[in-house]
Amino acid sequence: MTGWIFAGSLVLALVAVYRPFGDYLHRVVTGTRHNVVERGVYRVVGVEPGTEQSWGVYARSVLAFSAVSILFLFLFLRLQDKLWLSLGVDPVNPHVAWNTAVSFVSNTNWQAYAGESALGHLVQMDGLAVQNFVSAAVGIAVAVALVRGFAAKKTATLGNFWVDLTRITVRVLLPVCVLATLVFMVAGVVQNLSGGTDVTTLTGATQHITGGPVASQEAIKLLGTNGGGFYNANSAHPFENPTTWTNWLQMFLILLIPFSLPRLFGRMVGQNRQGYAVVAVMAVLALASVALTVAFEVHGAGTVPQAAGAAMEGKETRFGVTGSAVYAAVTTLTSTGAVNSFHDSYTSFGGMMPLVNMMLGEVAPGGTGSGLYGLLILAIITVFVAGLMVGRTPEYLGKKIGAREMKLASSYFLITPALVLTGTAAAFATGNNGTALNVGPHGLSEVLYAFTSAANNNGSAFAGITVNTLWWDTALGLAMLLGRFLPMVLVLALAGSLARQKVTPESEGTLPTHQPLFVGLVVGVTVVLVALTFLPALALGPIAEGLS
Amino acid sequence: MTMLLDKPVSAGTIAPAQLRRSLPQALTKLDPRTMWRNPVMLIVEIGAVFTTVLSIADPSVFAWIITGWLWLTVVFANLAEAVAEGRGKAQAAALRAAKQDTVAYLKNGREIPATELHLGDVVVVEAGQVIPGDGDVIEGIASVDESAITGESAPVIRESGGDRSAVTGGTKVLSDRIVVRITQRPGESFVDRMIALVEGANRQKTPNEIALNILLAALTIIFLLSVVTLQPLAIFSKAFQAAAPDTVALNADGVTGIVLVSLIVCLIPTTIGALLSAIGIAGMDRLVQRNVLAMSGRAVEAAGDVTTLLLDKTGTITLGNRQAAEFVPVNGVPLSSLVEAAHLSSLADETPEGRSVVQLAALPSREPGLMPDAVFVPFTAQTRMSGVDLPDRQIRKGAAVAVLKWAGKPSPEVTEIVDRISDEGGTPLVVAETGRVLGVIHLKDVVKPGMRERFAEMRRMGIRTVMITGDNPRTAAAIAAEAGVDDFLAEATPEDKLAYIKKEQDGGRLVAMTGDGTNDAPALAQADVGVAMNTGTSAAKEAGNMVDLDSDPTKLIEIVEIGKQLLITRGALTTFSISNDIAKYFAIIPAMFAAVYPGLDALNIMRLHSPGSAILSAVIFNALIIVALIPLALRGVRYRPSSASALLRRNLWIYGLGGVVLPFLGIKLIDLLIQFIPGI
Amino acid sequence: MRLPAWLGQHLAALRALLVLTVLLGFAYPLAFVALGRVPGLADNAAGSLVTAGSSLIGQSFTDADGNPVPRYFQSRPSAAGDGYDPTSTGASNLGPESVVDTLSADPEEAAPSLLSQVCARSLAIGELEGVDGSRPYCTPDGVGAVLAVFHRDGLTGPVTRAVSVNQTGTPFLPTYQGVPVEPAQPGQDYRAQGGVITPIRGTAPSHPVIPPDAVTASGSGLDPHISPAYANLQAPRVARERGLPLDRVHELIAEHTAGRALGFLGDPTVNVLQLNSALDGKS
Repeated sequence: MTGWIFAGSLVLALVAVYRPFGDYLHRVVTGTRHNVVERGVYRVVGVEPGTEQSWGVYARSVLAFSAVSILFLFLFLRLQDKLWLSLGVDPVNPHVAWNTAVSFVSNTNWQAYAGESALGHLVQMDGLAVQNFVSAAVGIAVAVALVRGFAAKKTATLGNFWVDLTRITVRVLLPVCVLATLVFMVAGVVQNLSGGTDVTTLTGATQHITGGPVASQEAIKLLGTNGGGFYNANSAHPFENPTTWTNWLQMFLILLIPFSLPRLFGRMVGQNRQGYAVVAVMAVLALASVALTVAFEVHGAGTVPQAAGAAMEGKETRFGVTGSAVYAAVTTLTSTGAVNSFHDSYTSFGGMMPLVNMMLGEVAPGGTGSGLYGLLILAIITVFVAGLMVGRTPEYLGKKIGAREMKLASSYFLITPALVLTGTAAAFATGNNGTALNVGPHGLSEVLYAFTSAANNNGSAFAGITVNTLWWDTALGLAMLLGRFLPMVLVLALAGSLARQKVTPESEGTLPTHQPLFVGLVVGVTVVLVALTFLPALALGPIAEGLS
Repeated sequence: MTMLLDKPVSAGTIAPAQLRRSLPQALTKLDPRTMWRNPVMLIVEIGAVFTTVLSIADPSVFAWIITGWLWLTVVFANLAEAVAEGRGKAQAAALRAAKQDTVAYLKNGREIPATELHLGDVVVVEAGQVIPGDGDVIEGIASVDESAITGESAPVIRESGGDRSAVTGGTKVLSDRIVVRITQRPGESFVDRMIALVEGANRQKTPNEIALNILLAALTIIFLLSVVTLQPLAIFSKAFQAAAPDTVALNADGVTGIVLVSLIVCLIPTTIGALLSAIGIAGMDRLVQRNVLAMSGRAVEAAGDVTTLLLDKTGTITLGNRQAAEFVPVNGVPLSSLVEAAHLSSLADETPEGRSVVQLAALPSREPGLMPDAVFVPFTAQTRMSGVDLPDRQIRKGAAVAVLKWAGKPSPEVTEIVDRISDEGGTPLVVAETGRVLGVIHLKDVVKPGMRERFAEMRRMGIRTVMITGDNPRTAAAIAAEAGVDDFLAEATPEDKLAYIKKEQDGGRLVAMTGDGTNDAPALAQADVGVAMNTGTSAAKEAGNMVDLDSDPTKLIEIVEIGKQLLITRGALTTFSISNDIAKYFAIIPAMFAAVYPGLDALNIMRLHSPGSAILSAVIFNALIIVALIPLALRGVRYRPSSASALLRRNLWIYGLGGVVLPFLGIKLIDLLIQFIPGI
Repeated sequence: MRLPAWLGQHLAALRALLVLTVLLGFAYPLAFVALGRVPGLADNAAGSLVTAGSSLIGQSFTDADGNPVPRYFQSRPSAAGDGYDPTSTGASNLGPESVVDTLSADPEEAAPSLLSQVCARSLAIGELEGVDGSRPYCTPDGVGAVLAVFHRDGLTGPVTRAVSVNQTGTPFLPTYQGVPVEPAQPGQDYRAQGGVITPIRGTAPSHPVIPPDAVTASGSGLDPHISPAYANLQAPRVARERGLPLDRVHELIAEHTAGRALGFLGDPTVNVLQLNSALDGKS
């Protein structure tokens, strides 16, 4: 019951902000004025804010920025011992540094290290947290570029990446983070530059209470659907997520942008109802997933949960089973990957849900930006099949879905399953599954989860698996890199292709893409395609375990 | 082409004999170089080769039966294409027969074989001779038998100049002599193109087909990946559960090759992959059956997308001629006098208008011959009136200006009536007798019955109808309102038409139109679907991308429906094909892995007999469904004009839900039968 | 001099990254670090430190040998380092079907399954609190009650052999389907030998006396809370050890129980450090 109230209040809050916040996002990306901070950034970057970019230039800007970011972060991690606030830690070894750099730049935040023991404060604050901001902004920028493609009439340009990046960071992410940081600090999240304090416990032992600029990083970790915890325990850590209401606030921050972007989409294409349809698809999938996850966890099937009396292993008392299960669903439905409980110890089916959520392609509502563009790709595929069934060359928002559009959308759709499946198979074929903590189906789930999380840029883990080996760091790094940037390039190419088209006016013969029927169809297509792709692998993992 | 339809090619049903005839063709299509064009089925064929090798290396009943059915799957797919092509072949053969070895008599007296005629050659064709090539009549007039092309046995008149100057090679001059300038290149005659079209030779994939193929290829790759990458996972699982015995599906080396191939074949979209080209060929075929020749598949597809139909008023929306609808007497004249005068004046008028006046008057019939003293005055372009001179009076009817002048009495009242009739879209005929004007006959353009409903239907389909007419805007507006079209283009010149089409296209719409005259050619070329009438000029036929052999402008509506039906059939079978996979998973996954993890038997919701029978049933179902759907692919799914949402809902129920449910039943049924095969 | 386009683009990217780092990596967090010095926020920003630790971070109330100090309420089991180590936070990450122990004479090699951990904790708490420590799927000696069952035909057919895989001593069942149950030998993998791993439910009540949070490790390993049920279970022992009236202990528990946040979020919790501090009079 508490789970439903919890989820219900979250839904109400998101419904309340959908219009105002979505409208604000719309103003930010379509406005023509630039504030003083933004003008300062443009001057440093050397960009004229009025300049429009073609899709190719936009894509190359995204890639250049990300490449520079990866290199910068890699060097930062390798040299951290020589820097201020290093807390005396060693440089991060090369393959973990590569993995971490890719992970944070790709908005994945997969962590092959434990924050409290491996990183100094400076690299967290100026390396990782900065990427938390900008990787989220890059995702939103690409989504906005795609929406511009839909809204455009016979143009060759999609806006300016540098302007989008700056505005989204300065006007959206930073202000919300400032508010959230303050609230987190009030709740007890730490914010200092201390190396920690040794305290004597009641029984006379020594405990090292850690410090760090956590609150400021926590805010963007959630708002940007990043998920990389300051500490290894992530949002289960009392210093990151001290109370049940911060737990609620964390989920709200995670869902805020992904669930509001459809409003921006509706506004930009000039039909708010299209935004409602997109958000309805996201909401149906999300609610179903949350309900199932909570139901499985509360039911608590499986030998150990039965023995313990509840699925409480890996869960915090203050969150309980439901507060943990809802979080697990939310963090994997978005590409966040922060955890307030450890999915590895979930019931078999309860633990399958986060896996399935990610397999959906991070679209319900998905990551900041990436969720919207991922869902629009699925809508395009749905429109194509459904559009044929109404006897017309399929079109979405007046743009024809022809061979080029299908080529790009299909390739997009292919990439993540291909990375997940080949990665998982390669781990088993090469024996690298051996680092999994658990045996049998559960060990298989750990490997499958790792690649699913990396390729979908989620970053959460069935954390039992040891992944800071050369093989795993390299393989998962590649999965994250390709899983992030190949789709982005395809999305931008699609945006370019759509922008060039003229708009076919709507008529009775046009497939309506704002009605419940279409919403149901997109949900159906998404679930069926994902089920068909991953069912064999799932059958040997969580399903085999759960049905034993 | 009714002649070609003498043997009824009844839509949809295929006789077993037809399948048998197509079988050799289907077998020759197994050549991998041919299969290359259909990647989905190529994968099946490669799989079949692979299982054949495995079956030879390690023979078992299970292996050989699976292998047999995999080959059958490929053959069935080829059969679908062969059957579709076979129908076209029959038609092509009939056309070839019509194209005899003709001799061309050049104007300069030389005789050459028709095949050597060049563009611009001028030939003479006498009565009884076959016209050697496509061209325009530049001299003379003749009656021509065009039944070889159109199937219509009544001869048609072809004459130089005007819009009836085009002649087609292979047709026969029945009377008189004409001189024809050839307008075709060698081997590119109309008949040649028809043969190529119905045979499906060098059939190009249409844009939607290409896009659909991309989606199918992507799905194939995903399923291929998800099955191939399963192998290391299966090996791991089998090794983990050491107690699990080996089965036909799984041993220490993982999933057996036969089962792996079976799974791939069952998952990749073989149903739509097998039927896709048959659907396309059959779509063209349906047009041919309606005597429409599409010059490309692209045009057929575009027809489905059409959002604006330009229709000529005369002959398409209205009957070709006007009919008397009302007698309007002027003040002081009894209606009966007007009716009687109108009747008398029209007795000898054999034009449709004249006959309609007599009909409307509904007076006792009086044969002109019974009135020996009556002198009938025929209509001439100079007088612009006709009438009758009786001993006691003269009666005239005709254009207002002419009759009023004849009567010598300008009347503001008459002018008023005349204007009113014009406003209502009618044509006024003033009737007068010596010295006084009696009244006006209201001739009306009669909208064909059923057109209003037809246009309402179009509107529901999201298609705008636009009437093209040479009438003045007042008249046009009235007729447009009566017919229920969405818009009209009055006093339309060819330039206006072209401009209108461009305007629509700039707004993102797709335009279809019909035309026959040379001056229609630019508009026909500009339109996305331009249907030229076969009676039209060669220029019009060249410019359009379809030719209607029946020269029936209303055919455009049917063409649109066929285009839509083609796309719907593809979409519906794609949905069906993908939905099918759900049931196959429930058959195959427990069959493969329940031996390792017995809990997975819970997924065997169909309670299939054994792993072997489950896999085999799925493979057999997968093959049989192709054959079962060939008639549907050839006939096309039923299309009822309605809104997109209604269509989608209906097709989703049938092909989406049906696609989910049917295989559960089918696979279970097959399993019940094959479980008795020893060794399964 | 004009740079090649690609180089110019990357230099622009670098400039953008640097200027954003200044803004987001210095200005923003350091402003809040400074704000964290302001009275009112300073305690929170520094880690909510109290006399003997942090009120947000749980700690062990055990002696040097790891045995519970009976005058204190005990925290939940912890997987953070050797227990409640903030420099090594995290969970056990063992799955719901982690039921087979790795048995070995060498403690470094031995690895109990999650099931056996739960069973062992339950048994120990039962002894400490003087209550019934039995749980479903647990043996009376506190390990997972799990058999490797060998069938004639692999997964099916008559049972030919049964091994209690987590016990080297007397098996918890004398026979299984007519076959005598053997104790396990360390170093053997009975599943690999063809045994089917079969947990045995036993007769323990499905809602054992000892609540779930008492026998499971938290996610962070730093969980500062226990459930009111677990606190109440420990109350008699603490009262006895401290010579306090039980009612007084219950009063203190109630004082340190946080209800649902805002009345509807989460579960009620008891902060163990604050409760113990209060008992010590240090609050």
